[in-house]
Amino acid sequence: MAAPAIETSGLDVGYPGRGSPVTVISGLDLTVEAGTFLSILGPSGCGKSTFLRVVADLLVPLAGTIRVMGETPSAVRSGRGVGFVFQDATLLPWRTARENVRLPIQVGRRSLSRMIDDRADELLELVGLSALSERLPHQLSGGQRQRLAIARALLGEPRLLLMDEPFGALDEITRDRLNDELLNLWRRTGTTVLFVTHSIAEAVYLGQRVIVLAAHPGRIVADHDLRPLKGPDNRCSREDPAIVAAMARMRSALGAAS
Amino acid sequence: MTRVPLSPFAQTVLPILGAGSLILAWQVLLPLAGVPAYIVPTPTAIAGVFARNGSLLLSNLWPTAIEALSGFVLGNLAAVLLAVAFVHSRTLQAAYFPVVLFFNTIPVLALAPVIILIFGLGMLPKIVIAAVICFFPTLINMIRGLESASASEHELFRVLSATRWEVFWRLRLPRALPMLFASLRIASATAVIGAIVGEWIGSDKGLGALIIQATFNYQSDRLYAAIVLSSLLSIGFFMTVVAVERWSVRYR
Repeated sequence: MAAPAIETSGLDVGYPGRGSPVTVISGLDLTVEAGTFLSILGPSGCGKSTFLRVVADLLVPLAGTIRVMGETPSAVRSGRGVGFVFQDATLLPWRTARENVRLPIQVGRRSLSRMIDDRADELLELVGLSALSERLPHQLSGGQRQRLAIARALLGEPRLLLMDEPFGALDEITRDRLNDELLNLWRRTGTTVLFVTHSIAEAVYLGQRVIVLAAHPGRIVADHDLRPLKGPDNRCSREDPAIVAAMARMRSALGAAS
Repeated sequence: MTRVPLSPFAQTVLPILGAGSLILAWQVLLPLAGVPAYIVPTPTAIAGVFARNGSLLLSNLWPTAIEALSGFVLGNLAAVLLAVAFVHSRTLQAAYFPVVLFFNTIPVLALAPVIILIFGLGMLPKIVIAAVICFFPTLINMIRGLESASASEHELFRVLSATRWEVFWRLRLPRALPMLFASLRIASATAVIGAIVGEWIGSDKGLGALIIQATFNYQSDRLYAAIVLSSLLSIGFFMTVVAVERWSVRYR
């Protein structure tokens, strides 16, 4: 059996402060099966973004252990195992859409970069931006920029896609559409997705499983498996009473924690 | 309140008419007001100098242009290289940045005689003065520019396991270019000032020398012609910088 995508135990994460470090996440125990679409829901300051940064090896935990697909986060990162989508699309403004998507094959350990096929055009097609591939980022809408950021993250065929409130700055209509597109991409690629959001509706609509974090310090206060409601292909309707009820449960979990 | 923008035609023609009307007023009204020609010569008198003494002006333009250009290149190059060193070594920055900051508080005019003492009377001291005057604004802007990439941009490059070299060439440097060009545009004018100031203190050729000689000989029309030529030289440098900027910073 394949190693879990994520396995942590007693994970403490923090930032060095004056004197003693500031703890953001305390004693996190979490196991995520490979291929799962996991929503991480919580208020500001609960450490959900911080957790993604530990998985991506952008931050080293203070204590505890974390294995990503059976390896250390640093081994996974240097092996190009993760794709990261930031809240702001983080596109380089001097590069065209296509050149932004191609960034992952132009940097990093040369040998690894060469192993990745130049699938930029295919990915632009997949996110519906083929016609705009020569545009500069400032000539694109907010939704188009996030699609581009997702295409870039998928270029290296990552086994793990980390998304940090990627649709947080978009209007609701665009956000709903991108949610559906993201689920389609996930079904097609079969990667594990860790999706951080502070929107209850988004977390429930997207996730096969939703964990709810509380702040000060960050810890898991609820863990819901939504697969019984959604079936194996993770489809649901936003109006489905069972889904609405799940959202209400998340809301009360969040309320009880704060 | 929104204002209707001017037509492209008006945008081109109006500045020309504006400048033309002032030159016309200068030509006609100043002599009428009794301002003597040795204080302010008329535009036609100044134009006359360009016609009569064209070769004299040109032979004095070249040294100044070469000094200003060499100083511009050297001063900005040194500033860019030092900025690169500073952003890659906190130790270096902590040790030497305050020294540079102190050095910058010395007025270049006060420093110029010392530079002449060290480098003699040839072109070299003028180049050094022009370089010194360009150096500091570019250093400051380049440091800020190289550090202007956002936290998430750095995180993106780290997720991709980019090397320091790649972060520099593909992130820091392109990010710094708009700020670098902002200071290069300023330096294009100050480099000419540096060269002219250098020539004032010790030189027998160059626009600065021509300005001093013309002043002492009460050749006001020649003095004004030298001023106009200095200004044209600055404009030439400025336009070149702007053209290079348009070519290399194509976004926004």
